[in-house]
Amino acid sequence: MSGLVLDGVSAAYRGTTVLHEVDLTVERGELLVVLGPSGAGKSTVLRVVAGLEPVTTGRVHIAGRDVTDQRPGLRNVSMVFQSYALFPHLSVVENIAFGMEVRDIPRRQARERARAAAETVGCAGLLDRRPGQLSGGERQRVALARALVREPDVFLLDEPLSNLDLALRVEMRTELRALHDRIGATMVHVTHDQTEALVLADRIAVLRDGRVEQVGTPDQIWRTPASTFVARFVGSPAMNLLPADGALRPNGAAPELPDEPLEIGFRPEAVTLDAADGAPATVERVEVIGEDAYAYLTVAAGQPVVARVPAARRPDKGATVRVGVRWADTHLFHAASGRRYAP
Amino acid sequence: MSARSGPGLRAPQPRTEDGPASARSGPAAPQPRPKIRTVSGPDTRSRRQLVLMLAPYLVGLVGLVLVPAVVTLALAFTEYDLLRPPAWAGLDNFTALVDDPIFRVALLNSVVFALVAVPLRVLLALGLALLLHRRAVGTGTARTAALLPTAVPEIAYGLLWLWLFNPLYGPINQLLRIGGEQGLTVLGRTPPQWLTDPTSARAGIILMSLFTMGETFVVLLAARRALPRDVYEMAAIEDATGWDVFRRVTLPLMAPVLALLAVRDAIASLHFTFVPAFVVTDGGPPPYATTYLSLFVYQTGFEYLRYGYAAAATLVMMLLTVAAVLVQWRLIRRYRRLYTF
Repeated sequence: MSGLVLDGVSAAYRGTTVLHEVDLTVERGELLVVLGPSGAGKSTVLRVVAGLEPVTTGRVHIAGRDVTDQRPGLRNVSMVFQSYALFPHLSVVENIAFGMEVRDIPRRQARERARAAAETVGCAGLLDRRPGQLSGGERQRVALARALVREPDVFLLDEPLSNLDLALRVEMRTELRALHDRIGATMVHVTHDQTEALVLADRIAVLRDGRVEQVGTPDQIWRTPASTFVARFVGSPAMNLLPADGALRPNGAAPELPDEPLEIGFRPEAVTLDAADGAPATVERVEVIGEDAYAYLTVAAGQPVVARVPAARRPDKGATVRVGVRWADTHLFHAASGRRYAP
Repeated sequence: MSARSGPGLRAPQPRTEDGPASARSGPAAPQPRPKIRTVSGPDTRSRRQLVLMLAPYLVGLVGLVLVPAVVTLALAFTEYDLLRPPAWAGLDNFTALVDDPIFRVALLNSVVFALVAVPLRVLLALGLALLLHRRAVGTGTARTAALLPTAVPEIAYGLLWLWLFNPLYGPINQLLRIGGEQGLTVLGRTPPQWLTDPTSARAGIILMSLFTMGETFVVLLAARRALPRDVYEMAAIEDATGWDVFRRVTLPLMAPVLALLAVRDAIASLHFTFVPAFVVTDGGPPPYATTYLSLFVYQTGFEYLRYGYAAAATLVMMLLTVAAVLVQWRLIRRYRRLYTF
């Protein structure tokens, strides 16, 4: 049985449709990351599942139950908000126990479970503090503990790491993954950070303008992006995209190409700058990031190409290089639709 | 002029040197900085500007409030009838006040009014604010309606209620008589004689004061709308009932504002009884049922020309206000310790 199923769900916000017939299935115990740029409708997916926004069409099933018409409180989900939504006037332990206390679980028992949940996420030392006295990372942990404590059917996490600084974000990312593995809960995690998605996810659903662009494992998303959008959104710097019949001809065994305009895509790390039969290109600028350098090039026809090279062997700005890439490292897309072309 | 415009023009310069603008401009900024000017210049100048801008207010405050207050304070220890010069009376006025049955009634009336009307006004304003904070059909009109009575000039408002309270043709009693027979209510009781029965008159004044809670309502409306939405969504996900949400979320989050408004209302309550009591009930019906401290002071001073005595009563009124504020302030401080945002 699936943990969560969205069946042709559409949703509108103030008259504008923000989700277009989204189909998503999250297996029980799976961590699905919903990835997309701002405004793609990621948070709306969570809000529809939680019942905070109504659907205009489609059904939502949680753990086999059709919850489409149920109010949020009956759906047995818990949510971690981007802002954490902690009650500022309650102490940490009161915050964690809030959901149980309003459900009339005896106070002593609620506090006991709140303590246990706090220990799970490592904030047991903060129980008597108030949210105003906590750092961002500590608030994050409290919000997590509050989500954990009730043992819901689905955890919904709305960009929970986006308010943390980089070091803490990396640390919490790892902890979140470990936590998921330990409790084996069904989780939907929303983020715009592709690294976070690739590291955390069992599967990733890439969302664009309220439509699911691709669902797959991080490996599938990386190796076989379903569209130019996915190809360019995942990976930094973004994948290079050039017309297949342009100045740059990949080398090696060419696949069978149809008689229609195609685009070839290849990641910066697939580019070599000293190919004997490569296309001539000018180095516009070079960014050095530790051991790596990114060379921003313009090939003869004026198209931009980014190449990742070892910092020690980076070209000089203004130099002419010969850009080469192997067919094996390229992706092909229909130029008109942007969808992947599989030979 | 030149002497003043000189530093005035230069003033922003030293500030930008430390400001974010220079941080962006990078290492090309080491200019000679006029050290002495930056340290003393803007400081004294801004202080002078502050004094200048505050001057009209300060002049008004001193001339219209502070001096009369001090004069009142002094008059409270004299006997003064505007005709003869004030004569020193020591504490005579105050001992007389203690023995004055009318003053005691007025004091009691004022305290009872504050204790009943202030909580009711704040509660009514809170109820309306919570009802009307969402966008929905008709809320705009309803908000305007809630605010409107506050905008009516006080005397007109008083005259309006004089008509509303009229026992025979006033709409309130006509409404109460609906369904009843021979001029009685449905329950077979005589409708309240608003202006002639002491208890009804006191209730009437409180009723009048309830509809002028517009300002309190507006502040509470703004306070409610400023509360974070996600906290309420969190409560919805946890299946908190409306009562739970009110008790555990809304009330504690709005408590600081509510407390502040209650303090303000308690202070104001000593004053806003004046016009209703003056226009609608004229301090009656006997025995002095709606003679509040403010009306007592007015009548003593301007009708009986006992300025010294009136000043002493004013002083008592002021002390009462201070005491009320202190009590509430202590309560708020105790509560605020639990509160750290």
